[in-house]
Amino acid sequence: MLQAKNLTKKYGNFTALNGLNLSVEAGDIFCLLGANGAGKSTTINLFLNFIDPSEGQATIGSLDVTEYTKETKQLLSYIPENLMLYPNLSGLENLDFFCGLGGKSYTKEQLEALLKQSGLQPDFIHQRVSSYSKGMRQKVGIALAAAREASVLLLDEPTSGLDPKASNEFSELLLSMKEKGVATLMATHDLFRAKDTGTHIGIMNEGVLVEQFESADVSFQDLEKLYLKHMHN
Amino acid sequence: MRQLLFIARKEIKVALREKLVVSLGIVTLLLLGVALYAGYVSYQQQKEIITETQAEKRKEWLNQGDKHPHIAAHYGTFIFKPKTVLSLFDFGLDAYTGTSVYLEAHYQHGFMFRPAQDHTSMIRFGELSAALVLQVLAPLLIIFLAFGAFTRERESGTLKLLMSQGISFRLLTWGKIVAYSIMLAIVLLPIVVGIFILSFSGIRQEVIPDIAFRAVLLVLIYGVYLFLFISFSVWISLRSATGRNALLTLLTGWMFFAVLMPKTVTNFSESLYSLPSMREFKARIQEDKVNGLDGKTPRSVRRARLEKEYLEKYQVDSVEQLPFNFEGVSMQAGEEHGNKVYDHHLHKLREIFHQQNRLRSIASLFNPFLAVQHLSMALSGTDMYTFIHFEKAVEHYRRELVRKMNGDMAENSRYGEFYGYKAQRDLWQEIDDFAYQTPTAAELLQLYHLEILSLLMWTALVFVLLNYSNRKMKPLHG
Repeated sequence: MLQAKNLTKKYGNFTALNGLNLSVEAGDIFCLLGANGAGKSTTINLFLNFIDPSEGQATIGSLDVTEYTKETKQLLSYIPENLMLYPNLSGLENLDFFCGLGGKSYTKEQLEALLKQSGLQPDFIHQRVSSYSKGMRQKVGIALAAAREASVLLLDEPTSGLDPKASNEFSELLLSMKEKGVATLMATHDLFRAKDTGTHIGIMNEGVLVEQFESADVSFQDLEKLYLKHMHN
Repeated sequence: MRQLLFIARKEIKVALREKLVVSLGIVTLLLLGVALYAGYVSYQQQKEIITETQAEKRKEWLNQGDKHPHIAAHYGTFIFKPKTVLSLFDFGLDAYTGTSVYLEAHYQHGFMFRPAQDHTSMIRFGELSAALVLQVLAPLLIIFLAFGAFTRERESGTLKLLMSQGISFRLLTWGKIVAYSIMLAIVLLPIVVGIFILSFSGIRQEVIPDIAFRAVLLVLIYGVYLFLFISFSVWISLRSATGRNALLTLLTGWMFFAVLMPKTVTNFSESLYSLPSMREFKARIQEDKVNGLDGKTPRSVRRARLEKEYLEKYQVDSVEQLPFNFEGVSMQAGEEHGNKVYDHHLHKLREIFHQQNRLRSIASLFNPFLAVQHLSMALSGTDMYTFIHFEKAVEHYRRELVRKMNGDMAENSRYGEFYGYKAQRDLWQEIDDFAYQTPTAAELLQLYHLEILSLLMWTALVFVLLNYSNRKMKPLHG
């Protein structure tokens, strides 16, 4: 569903991403671990076609994201580290707007149901987003992904800064998306969440994917050791 | 299209929930209302004064009693510049050109009652007219509305979310332009309706025959002008890294195009093509009237030549033997000489005006504000060319009046009986009351082809810039 082939991004002499090869299938949650500047967000931005690759190719559903920008975007939903919505609009109005942009049309009741399913407290559905916490905004993002019926989910450190409860709720929502066959690529610092939620884990260091494995194959302790080993290298 | 309307609807919804935008919209609307109302009151007052005084002066002319026609020509009359309905929208040069003129034989008097004379130099920055609000203040509203069109999305992080939905920069840009255009149209709708009501209502329209056409053109021209400001503001926002940069760039641009450049161009054109003072102008005319345009044909020589010409033509020995009063012919010849001298100097003066105007027109190619300012005055009938057209009509009327008086004197009186002959009311009635119509909008616009070209060029430029930037732009640099 989601594939990187020798994907490389250079900024002058600096190589942000170096020959990345990875594949995320339907129902997979691929967690990219790594320190700041390891190339996780660059990978996500390349799949979103927010930046052009220097070499290689990123495909979604076998379509090159640079050539089929519109088509590939219709397949995905994106939740950044800090999902920003329009503060003067309510959660429901934001959801309605972004769904409309993606060509999806829902009734008010359907939108309310989507927001409730994503865990947003009913009291806040019609309140302006300016009063939302980060976790509540991330939930609107999940509702948007569900509303768009995305088959690919690109997440850039989505649980960063969330409290444990909100983080746990978010993981549960991801797992429910997984059950629906959504392919998820998630950049994260959170080893515990990666082991707990992910089906596959990759460790990145200085723009290189130095390790990838199925999360079931390692214990949390081994994962931590492996991660620290690469970070010290 | 559906997505574009979605974006436009969201933009409007967000803007309407921002107090600053709503406040600015209300202030602009109020200013427009006040300006239009003030213009209407001023128009009504002046129209009443002009109508009443013109009628009074006509009555005085008809009831001046029996007198020698040349004395009647000196008794003269007043002509008042009729106010055009659209002048309540754009006062233009009315404050500088004067409202009335005294008509008399031998003399071309200057226009009187120029409001600019009674004001401080602040009037040079423009009176509060609806046109001024649209030309100068509406762009400010646009700037505050649109400077954050993209920078706010970029700074708040919503741009990435937007672009991840699969929409293009082109769609987003045009969605925003449509939204701002709709919002501005809503703010300006009352004034558009007001202009149309006034243009088509009972207010007399004989001065401007094609007023409906002009009103439509005004809406079109201001529509293009404001669209340009919206598009450029969105483009600057698209290209700017931060909202602060966008706002500073736009305000600097506004200051340059709407304030500094127009004043600089006016001052430059006046210093490059300087006009003689009124005293110099009149002195030169007087000198040439006395000594002839060649400087060596005084009145005595001209009169001797005329006398000789007529004596030879009618084969008589003295002017007393002519079948008409030679004094009348002589006076008309003197009048025509005076006209020739006046025309000569006025032509030179107007040539300077034309050179100044040409420079301003060329400058308008580089500044759409100047282009719309010139076109607005022209369509409102308050520009220099309409004034010159009116001035010509007045002078033509004056000459006809004097010619008729002198002709009557030549035909009906005898040589030497200067004060003996007296014409009566029937002669005064032969002089029609002064009536004036402005040139048509089509005629005027031919004189403003550079301004029209300017608006077309700037529109093309903004399309090219938007198209180029929309193709090249990425949500993130790199």
